[in-house]
Amino acid sequence: MSNIAKFLALDKVATFFNIIKQNGGIRGSLFKLYRQDELKDGTLVGEDKFGNKYFENPRYFYGRNRWVEYSDKFHMNYDGSQVPAEWYGWLHYKTDLPPHLDPNRPKYKWMKDWNENLSGTTGQYTPYSTTRPKIEAWEPKSKSTV
Amino acid sequence: MLKAISTATRLSMPTLSRSLPAFSTSSSRFASQDPTTRKEAPKIDTETVIALPAEAKEKQVYESQICVPTKVDLSPISGVPEEHVRCRRVRIYQPPKNAMQSGTNNIHHWEMEFDTRQRWENPLMGWTSTGDPLSNMKLQFTNPDEAIEHCEKNGWVWYLDCPKTEKEFKTKSYGLNFSWNRRTRVSTK
Amino acid sequence: MLRQPLTRALALSSSSRIAPLGVRRYAEALAQPEKVEVFIDDKPVYVPPGTTVLQAAAMVGVEIPRFCYHERLAVAGNCRMCLVEVEKSPKPVAACAMPVMKGMRVKTTSDLTKKAREGVMEFLLVNHPLDCPICDQGGECDLQDQSMAFGSDKSRFTDIHFSGKRAVEDKDVGPLIKTIMTRCIHCTRCIRFASEVAGVDDFGTTGRGTDMQVGTYVEKMFLSELSGNIIDLCPVGALTSKPYSFAARPWETRRIDSVDVLDPLGSNIVVATRTNEVLRILPRTNEEINEEWLSDKSRFACDGLKRQRLVTPMVADSRGNLTPVEWEDAIVAAAHAIRDCPPNKLVAIAGELADAESLVALKDLVNRLGGENVCTEQYFPMGGSGTDLRSSYLLNTKIANVEDADFVLLIGTNVRFEAPLLNARIRKAFIHKETDVAYIGPKVDLTYEYTHVGDSASIVKELATGSSNHEVLKRLQSAKRPVVILGADQLKTSEGSALLAFTQELALRLQDKLEDKEWKVLNVLQRTASQVAALDVGYKPGVGAILQDGPKVVYLLGADAGVVTRESLPKDCVVIYQGHHGDVGASIADVVLPGAAYTEKRGTYVNAEGRAQQTLPAVTPPGKAREDWKILRALSEVLGARLPYDTLDEVRHRMAEISPSLVAYGDVQNNNYFAQARVLAQSLQKPVSGKLDVQLKQLEDFFMTDAISRASPTMAKCVQAVLKQKQSPY
Repeated sequence: MSNIAKFLALDKVATFFNIIKQNGGIRGSLFKLYRQDELKDGTLVGEDKFGNKYFENPRYFYGRNRWVEYSDKFHMNYDGSQVPAEWYGWLHYKTDLPPHLDPNRPKYKWMKDWNENLSGTTGQYTPYSTTRPKIEAWEPKSKSTV
Repeated sequence: MLKAISTATRLSMPTLSRSLPAFSTSSSRFASQDPTTRKEAPKIDTETVIALPAEAKEKQVYESQICVPTKVDLSPISGVPEEHVRCRRVRIYQPPKNAMQSGTNNIHHWEMEFDTRQRWENPLMGWTSTGDPLSNMKLQFTNPDEAIEHCEKNGWVWYLDCPKTEKEFKTKSYGLNFSWNRRTRVSTK
Repeated sequence: MLRQPLTRALALSSSSRIAPLGVRRYAEALAQPEKVEVFIDDKPVYVPPGTTVLQAAAMVGVEIPRFCYHERLAVAGNCRMCLVEVEKSPKPVAACAMPVMKGMRVKTTSDLTKKAREGVMEFLLVNHPLDCPICDQGGECDLQDQSMAFGSDKSRFTDIHFSGKRAVEDKDVGPLIKTIMTRCIHCTRCIRFASEVAGVDDFGTTGRGTDMQVGTYVEKMFLSELSGNIIDLCPVGALTSKPYSFAARPWETRRIDSVDVLDPLGSNIVVATRTNEVLRILPRTNEEINEEWLSDKSRFACDGLKRQRLVTPMVADSRGNLTPVEWEDAIVAAAHAIRDCPPNKLVAIAGELADAESLVALKDLVNRLGGENVCTEQYFPMGGSGTDLRSSYLLNTKIANVEDADFVLLIGTNVRFEAPLLNARIRKAFIHKETDVAYIGPKVDLTYEYTHVGDSASIVKELATGSSNHEVLKRLQSAKRPVVILGADQLKTSEGSALLAFTQELALRLQDKLEDKEWKVLNVLQRTASQVAALDVGYKPGVGAILQDGPKVVYLLGADAGVVTRESLPKDCVVIYQGHHGDVGASIADVVLPGAAYTEKRGTYVNAEGRAQQTLPAVTPPGKAREDWKILRALSEVLGARLPYDTLDEVRHRMAEISPSLVAYGDVQNNNYFAQARVLAQSLQKPVSGKLDVQLKQLEDFFMTDAISRASPTMAKCVQAVLKQKQSPY
C-alpha cells in the first residue's frame, strides 16, 4: 500500500497537506512562506524566552533539519543574532540536547539576557577616541540663561 | 664658443711670421683679423701641426664648447605637475645652527625647501598626512647661486633668507675674568 | 665657592663702575695692533694678538671640541676638552684660554692631542650616567657627539666595588627648567650665562672635587626672563626643558624657521613640530636681533597655541550666546552687519599680533567701503609729524648698535620685560664696553646698575632744554654714541605728545653734536609686534576718539588688549572678532571669525627697528580656522567690495605699493627726517608734570601679556612660581 502510494507520489501530497495543516492552513502557510521563504513541517523542540521556536525534522537532510522560526514580534526584521547563545549550540549541531533539557547548563542570577546585534540601529556601539584633543577649543561663556 | 673660434683660427693660422702674408686656408682671414694688429706670433703646439685634417677637425669638435642659451626652463619637460611649479615658493637658506648643540659640522651648505602645505590627522590612529609630494624635498647646494639657478631652471619662485649669523670678531681673554677695574670680572663660579 | 655677597659688593657698587674715560676705551686702544702669524695644523693664519688658539683654529675652519667654552660667555677653561698640542710646549694647552704667540704651531690632530681628549672624555664619562635612552638631550647632546668623535672605543670603568657612579640630588629651579644634576659635567656655562647675560647671580658651585655641585645653594627659582637659554647652553642633559620633557626626539621633529611675535623685537626662532603640533621653540641665530638667545615668553608660550583656540566660526544666536556655525553663515552675518552700517560708523581695530597682510587687507576693505576708521590698540601721539615720519616711532639706533653705545638713557621703559633681548644687549654693552645707563621712571631691576634720575616727566623736559643740572646731562653731552630709548607706553597719556617732543629735542640736540654722523640717538620702543607695521600702513594709533562717536560695527582684528569693552560701545553695536584665541576680544563679539596664529601662517611682521620679517607656516590652523587675509578677502567678496588680490604674492605686491620696506625682508632702512620731526614737534613742547610709570615692573608681570601667553599653562605656572618665590626668605 505504502509502496503504491510512494510510487504514485501520494506520500508527497500527504506531506504537502500535512505541512499546510501544521502551518495553520492556507492563509497561515502563505504568510509563513512570505515571511520565511520556505515552508517546513517538523516537531517543536522548544521555545526560548524571546518567543523563537525551534523545530527539528530528520526527514530533511543534515544541515537543514533543525531550524528556528523567529518570534512574531520581530516581524520581518529577524536575523541570526536573535538566536540566544544557549540555542545556538543546538541549532548548529554542537549538541543534541536542547538547553531546557540540558542539566549541566549553568543558570546563575547574574547572567545577562541575550542581546541581539544592534549594528545599524540607534542602539549600536560607536567607537570613540580616548586621547585628548591636541587643540583645546575656546568655549564661549553663555551670556543669558533664558 | 669663444674657445672654439680661437681654436679654429689657431688651426687655420700658418706658422709664418706676420710680415709674410703667404698662403691662406681661409679666405676670410684678413677680413676678420688684420695680422698687423697682433703683437705676437700665435703659438701652436706641434701636435696641431702634424695632425691630419680629419684629426684636426675631430679635435676641434672636442675642444669646442657647446653654448646653451642662458635661460633654461625645464618645467615643461621635468614632469613636475603644473600646480607644483606655478604655486610653490622655494626658500633658499643656510640651515641654522641647532641652539642645543655647539657643533657646526653639517650646516656649511645652502638648502632649498618648499613652503609648508596643509597636514591633516588620521582620526583613528593620529598619524599626520600631507598631500604635498615636495614636503620632504630639501636639496643641498654649496652656494646660493647654484640653488637659485636650479630654481630658475625648474620655474619655481624662490627667495633668499639669510639672517646675519657672522659674529663680529672679538678676542676672548681668560684674564678678563679677573681684571680688577672692569665689569667683566666674574662674581660667581 | 659661592662668593656672591662679597663679589656683588665689589663688582656692582664700587666706585670703579663709573670708570674714567681712559679705561673705558680699553677695547679701542687695542684696536689696530699688528697681526700675529700662527700655524694651525701647519696652515698659516694671521690673527690679532690676544686671540685664543681656539679662535685662531676656527678661522681656518678647524673646530676644536669644547664643553665649557662658549663664544658669548666668558672663558672658563675648566672642562679641558679643548686641550691641543703646541710645538715646544711640554704639555697640552687648553685652546680656549691660551692666547696665541708668534709662530706658534698648534697640532689639533696629533697623537698627543687625541690622547688628551680621550683622557678628558674618559674622566667625564666616569661620572656621567649612561641614561642616554631616557635623556631628553639625546640626539642633540654635545657629550654624545664628542664621545663618538673623540672618545675611547672601550671603557676602563669597572665598578668592582659596586660603589656606583657619582649621584647628585636634583634641584628645583622653577617650572621651566628640569634639572638632572647627576648628568652635570660642571662646564659652568649656566653659571656664567646667569651672571653675565641674564644678570641674575643665582647659580654657583658648591663643594670641591667629587662633591662639586652646580646649583643655587639654597633651593630657589631661577628668577630671570632669559632662563630658558641655559637649557640650550647645557652641553649635556643636566638642564632640559620642563614643558618639553619626554615629548619628542630631535630627529623626529620638523623644524621650521620663523619669527617670534610675542615681543616687539621679532626674535628669530625655529619651530619644532611633529604630528601637526608645535612642540617647542628654539632661538635661531641672528646677530642683528637676538644673537642666539630667546626670552622665556617667546620660548615657552607655545603651548598657549593649543589652548583657548577659536576653531570654528561663531555667531551670536537670539539669546546672545555664541554658537558654532559654518563659514558661509558667519561671513554672511558679518557682511550683513557691515553693509547695514554707514561707513563712518564702521571701526576696525587691529590688535597686537596682527600680521601686515591682514592689516593691509583690513584697511583696504574699510577704505573700499568708504570708511576711514582703522586704528590700533596702542596709542601714539598724532601731534607734530605724528606717524608720518618713520623715525619718530622706531628704534632708530638698531638693536645691534646699542652694543656700541657709550651712554644709554631709558625713559619710562622697563626694557628688561618689554624687550628682554634689547636689555641683554644693553647689559652686554654695560659689561664689555663699560657703557653707563641712566633711567627715568619708577625704580625697577634692570639687571645692571643704572643712575636713577627720577620718575617725573619734567626731568625729560629739563634734559631737553638743557636746564637740568643733573650729572646725566653732562654724561649725555660728553658721550660719543649716546642712545635715548623712550617707552611707547608713556605716550598714551595726555602729556604723551609733549614727552615725545622733548625726547626728540633731547635726542636731536645730542645727535647734532656727534662726530659720527651716522649714529642715531632717538629710539621709541614699541610694545607690540604689530604696531610698527600698522603705523607704516597708515593705521591711526589709539581708539579713544573713534569710539566716542558711537560706532555701529566694530571689527576687531585680534584686538585683545581690552581697550574696547562692551560698556564703551552703544547697545546695538555689532562686534566682529577675527583672531586665533578666545580672549578679551572674542568674549565681547557677536560674530567670531577664527584666524591663524603666527606659527600657522606666512605673515609679515615689522619689528621695533622697522625690520620686516616673515613667519613661515609650521602647522595647519586648527579646525576651520583660516589665514587672516583670506578671511578678509572672502568677506570683501560677500560685501561686494572685492579686494583685488587672490594670492599671497598679490597681497605682498599691494604691500609693496604701500611701503616697499614691508616686503624688504630682513633689511632695515636708515631713517632720516629727524630734524623735520623735531621742528614739527617744537610747538608741542608744553610743560609736563606727570610721573612716568611702567606697566611691567616685576618678573611676574612679564609672563602673561598677550592672547597667546595668557592661554599658556606654562606661563601661568611661571607666574605662580615667581609669586611663591617672592614669599620665600631667599
